[in-house]
Amino acid sequence: MLIQNTKCECGHQNPVGTVLCESCGKPLFEEAAGAEDAPLEMRYDGVARRSQKQNPHLIDRVWNFFSSVKIAIYLIILTLLGAALGTIFQQESTFINMTTDEEFAAYYKETYGTAGVIYHALGLSHTYESWWFRGLLVMIGASLVICSLDRVLPLYRALNKQQIRKHLQFITRQQVTYSGEVAGDETAWVESFKKQLKRRGYRVHQDGTALLAEKNRFSRWGPYINHIGLILFLLAVLGRSVPAWHMDQYLALYEGETRQIPDTNYYLKNDDFTLELYDESELASNQKGKAVPKLFETKATMYECIEACNDPTRDPVLKQVEQHPIQVNSPLSHGDLKIYQNSYQARVRFISVNVTLTDTVTGKAYGTFALRADNPERVYEVGPYTLRLNDYFPDFGLDSESRPMTKTRDPNNPAFAFTITGPDLLKDGETYLYFPMPNEESKAYQAILNDYYVKNGQSSGKFAFKVENAMSGGKMVNVTFSEYTTFLNIRKDKAMPYIWVGAAISMIGLIMGFYWQHRRVWLRIDGGTLSLGAHTNKNSYGLRADVAWALARTGIEVPPKSLDNRRNLR
Amino acid sequence: MNWIDLSSNVFTAAFFLYCAAFICYAIAVAGKRWSNRDPQGHTARWGRIGFIAAIVAWVLHLVFFFARWKGQGHIPTSNMYEFMTFLAMAIMFAFIVVYLIYRNSLLGAFALPLVIIIVAYASVFPSEVQPLNPALNSIWLRIHVTTAALGEAFFAVGFAAALMQLIRVVDLERKDKVGVRSRRWTEFSLVAIILIVGFLVSVFGFRGAGYEASFSQETVEIADDGTVNSQVNEVTYSLPPIVAPYNSETVDFQAFLGMEKPLFEAPSWMNGVNAGRKLNTVIWSVITGLILYGLLRLLARKPLIAVIKPHLMDIDADDLEEISYRAIAIGFPVFTLGALIFAMIWAEIAWSRFWGWDPKEVWALVTWLFYSAYLHLRLSRGWQGTRSAWLAVIGFLVVMFTLIGVNLVIAGLHSYAGVS
Ligand code: HEM
Repeated sequence: MLIQNTKCECGHQNPVGTVLCESCGKPLFEEAAGAEDAPLEMRYDGVARRSQKQNPHLIDRVWNFFSSVKIAIYLIILTLLGAALGTIFQQESTFINMTTDEEFAAYYKETYGTAGVIYHALGLSHTYESWWFRGLLVMIGASLVICSLDRVLPLYRALNKQQIRKHLQFITRQQVTYSGEVAGDETAWVESFKKQLKRRGYRVHQDGTALLAEKNRFSRWGPYINHIGLILFLLAVLGRSVPAWHMDQYLALYEGETRQIPDTNYYLKNDDFTLELYDESELASNQKGKAVPKLFETKATMYECIEACNDPTRDPVLKQVEQHPIQVNSPLSHGDLKIYQNSYQARVRFISVNVTLTDTVTGKAYGTFALRADNPERVYEVGPYTLRLNDYFPDFGLDSESRPMTKTRDPNNPAFAFTITGPDLLKDGETYLYFPMPNEESKAYQAILNDYYVKNGQSSGKFAFKVENAMSGGKMVNVTFSEYTTFLNIRKDKAMPYIWVGAAISMIGLIMGFYWQHRRVWLRIDGGTLSLGAHTNKNSYGLRADVAWALARTGIEVPPKSLDNRRNLR
Repeated sequence: MNWIDLSSNVFTAAFFLYCAAFICYAIAVAGKRWSNRDPQGHTARWGRIGFIAAIVAWVLHLVFFFARWKGQGHIPTSNMYEFMTFLAMAIMFAFIVVYLIYRNSLLGAFALPLVIIIVAYASVFPSEVQPLNPALNSIWLRIHVTTAALGEAFFAVGFAAALMQLIRVVDLERKDKVGVRSRRWTEFSLVAIILIVGFLVSVFGFRGAGYEASFSQETVEIADDGTVNSQVNEVTYSLPPIVAPYNSETVDFQAFLGMEKPLFEAPSWMNGVNAGRKLNTVIWSVITGLILYGLLRLLARKPLIAVIKPHLMDIDADDLEEISYRAIAIGFPVFTLGALIFAMIWAEIAWSRFWGWDPKEVWALVTWLFYSAYLHLRLSRGWQGTRSAWLAVIGFLVVMFTLIGVNLVIAGLHSYAGVS
């Protein structure tokens, strides 16, 4: 690059890299032959930017790289292509039941054949988590920051100190130009032209017979505000990888169940789950006869533990903090925790039963007590008797040596083993096994075992457990079931506010930049000859209309199109 | 008459009025050189008639929309039929906005065919009222879908103007490689549009004739625990099956022009039960489209661009370029808000994550990145004019792929009900 003389003929000393004199606007470069009259490159009003520094060092080179819009476009296009490639086949993250790389490799091979093998080997099966995709996003972020810094300050300086009287070349080489004779008094004409532009919302500055009119300068900051919003957005996205900022868990709750939300001090209770189906008459013809859900909802209560929270020997003391019917589009939220309805499963689950202790011989009822499937009480007082729960098998079965055991922790086939003490009973108490909802096999087993206790002298066979009026009017009474298990998604995302703020800032910037345009008109009259030039960063059409409108009102009728300097050259 | 019936009758009326408006525009442009008339006056008059017809059609279209809304109790944007009709309505709105800025009514000659094609495309899908799936029952979803469609509508108008510009500036004489290439690609854009018309003609033609054939396909799935599930699916074709689904049995086949059985079977990688049917539809669209194109060429005896170009000579290419850019510039913030920000808000509320890299989301992002590349490219010299017009055309292709292609090719969370 040539060492350039940056001192303009008007006397202003410009920084290296300046294209148009900061003061009078005269082009500082000699143009190639034939281009002397071409419209000027008005970007940033021709002021120097840091990235145009001479003798760049390493840091300058990095700076220059990221401040180039060309590089930004490449980055945007690479990101676009990468994102699109990721949609060719299903992404790994959508499979919940696979975790290892071998499983994925096998899956892609089996499902998509050779193309799948290549896809997986290239890492495209986890595009959006890959280092190169993240890297592209980080580079776009860097580019946004540097590019904006590189331009916003010079642009601010250029727009903040504008000279009114510009060099003639500067005016005649704008995108919109007019030149002609002004009849009569020059100052009077300038005054009336000024008034017209003011009516169109321009702010006008006058210097004798020279004039600068400007409007909507703020829209020039639109792109930068947009970029600041994007930077904040990208930072927030990166912030989501900080573990403490982010939580994503699932909780399955049957009706009536309370559970702790892992890693928190909160508990959640499913008070009731309801599923509403569409009525047959509301369905489209291809849906008739199907169960189409209209609404599903978990009535939930959230508790906070306030005492004995980490004490295994005591039950935690809970305080209700929130209550909300959770639906797909209506989560429960408390602080930064949000609880969403994910899905549900129809699964009958036994919750509790009201059991009546009766006498096998007389049929006399001694009393009724509630027996829960979860955390049953250890001792029950029924009439004169005391029942002690010795053993509880939620999902009763026999192990390989025919000893009782529980197959799962779910109360699919619960069995309760009691020792009963009280007046007129055996000295050591009596042993009973009780199945509240026995299948055929358990029924038989219950009978055999209770007989065996009698023979063995552990029981007198005096008692029977009964559920009175189990069914009444077609409804279960004295027995409670959960019909559905609800699956809830528990989320915490501390980055979200920043995401929304970033998006909002970005939107404000876009609106500023696209729905308003910065327009400037310069003119000077030299010995009866009017020279007018005007510039806008976009919507030249609107600018020409403005200028033609104001000219027409001062006695100069020109079609707007004829003002287009670029067009007249073609 | 109930609201739904009213809405569908009004919709038919709107469709025919759109067609009438297009014919007026065609007369406005093509009839200029008819004998004893003043060309300028002729164009202005017929352009105005066309514009008024289009506005009336649009008002009917609005009546359709609100009547259906009232009739079904939720805003009609929740399946493919409803979304596409909404998009067509939004394109008309964008056209009216751009018209109010530039007063260039001939843009309608290109915007209207787009509206007509999209309305016809919407009618391919079942128009029956369907109840809402709970996940879709959210105010944010409605805001998201309508705003996104509005942004896309402005891109559509940008596309129409860009295509006009390309035809306007194409050089019919140039013999060198660049000239031939630009002619070829411009003509090809028109062929692509005619292929879509071919799709519509074949679907409605065979539907009108009541054609049907069906196949059954057995799929075997081995679950993780080793159990084997086999399932028999039946597919019904409404176009004569040139391609049968992969590994399928013919259940029912109406002979067509002596074709008694499918000519071949879909390749093994297209093993989905609907993949064969989709391939068959594509083949029919190409066949019908090429026949249509051939007929048009026979009538005109020259490339279609050479037919259209002379009628565009009164419009300034720079004006078209400005209109195209401006439409996109108006649409970009709307699209950003609708397709990305509102979508994120909805996703956050409904799916508990603001972004999930679901294919539909990714393609909305791809569209947005594409248009932002377009806007940045326009900041540099040398990227205005024809190149930027091509970008506007390709951009709209990306939009259409996002709306239709993703649903047809890649299925995700978003798949609309009633996609055929
Ligand atoms: C995906 C990310 C980006 C988006 C969505 C975006 C968006 C925009 C938009 C909408 C404009 C206004 C265009 C116009 O006025 O016609 C703009 C302008 C601009 N962008 Fe970006 N941009 C992105 C990334 C970048 C990056 C990484 C750079 C850094 C080099 C950059 C540099 C610029 C510059 C220099 C302008 C022109 C400002 C002016 O002179 O008024 N953009 N950007």
